[in-house]
Amino acid sequence: MRRLFATLAVVALATAAHAHQLNVFAFVQDDEVIVETKFSSGKIPVSGEVRVLDGAGQVLSTLSLETDGTVRFPLDPNIASEGLTIEVSTGDGHDDYWILTPSDIANGSGS
Amino acid sequence: MKTVFPTALALATLTGSPALAHYGMIIPDDAMVSQEDGRSVGLTLSFSHPFERDGMVLEEPVSFTVTHEGETTDLLGDLNSAEVMGQPGYTLDYPLARPGTYVFAMEPQPYWEPAEDSYITHYTKTYVSAFGDDEGWDTELGLRTEIVPLSKPFGLWEGNVFQGMVMLEGEAVPYAEVEVEYYNEDGDAEVPSDLMITQTIKADANGVFTYATPTDGWWGFGALNTAPETLDYEGEEKEIELGAVIWVHFEEWDD
Repeated sequence: MRRLFATLAVVALATAAHAHQLNVFAFVQDDEVIVETKFSSGKIPVSGEVRVLDGAGQVLSTLSLETDGTVRFPLDPNIASEGLTIEVSTGDGHDDYWILTPSDIANGSGS
Repeated sequence: MKTVFPTALALATLTGSPALAHYGMIIPDDAMVSQEDGRSVGLTLSFSHPFERDGMVLEEPVSFTVTHEGETTDLLGDLNSAEVMGQPGYTLDYPLARPGTYVFAMEPQPYWEPAEDSYITHYTKTYVSAFGDDEGWDTELGLRTEIVPLSKPFGLWEGNVFQGMVMLEGEAVPYAEVEVEYYNEDGDAEVPSDLMITQTIKADANGVFTYATPTDGWWGFGALNTAPETLDYEGEEKEIELGAVIWVHFEEWDD
């Protein structure tokens, strides 16, 4: 499992500079991916760009954060079979990512 | 652990003279779990002399809980029996569902210590950060006695100071005595004097204490007080030492 995390992280790390300033978390619930973001100060970003990548690093979609620092999108199990990487940028070098592993997706699907 | 003190721990052990400090212990396998580390944290519970790696029996605790985002969950039934430092203890692999700080806390059964002619109850806790989120690092659990961290109890460099406030029955304890001991996990650390196995400091008038660690690893801080009540031991009423113990990990400075 750690090897899988490391493999997926290689794709994400290239764009995850200054990751300490923004925290991104994502999970699957009821066949929907829910992305949550928060600055390390505890404040919630009110805008930002969200990129969804497949396990091979291909960008699947680009979304905008809602004003509550979240975004949701439907899970496509066919595309997500190798995991998803969620990259979020709120500007000024505030970037972070979360990797949804196949296990994360399986555990959350249908919940 | 980089520093090896020149010393006579072996001699001290042979003479049987050191005043060994007891510590309730909750040692996570990672104090700051990143998403690349996985989705769980391993915990080892024991009652031990951490520097000497000398275990004692840890009976099934009265309680073992985790507190996250203001919610406390009972984990007592999830503990697995294990041998820790040669004595019965417990382990648990706890799944981390969300980011934030998870505070694990144990209230053990009173331990009868004949050498001290008293019972010992160490309310023991440790803080684990999950997925880069430190929210909740200063959580006060409201234990009968506890050390409330004033320094973030993870993400500290070796040499940093750790500050905490000693609380007993909801009140700060002026000039509380705090014992500090290193978990000599790999057995490499040695001491030049028995006096340095457990270092003792005092809190200030507000119950706040400060300690700077000389090296990386797990450090235990135990604030000791005596309970107003007593417990029976073979027909005699005995004192109960109440310990507020917190385990804090300091990271190696690697430049």
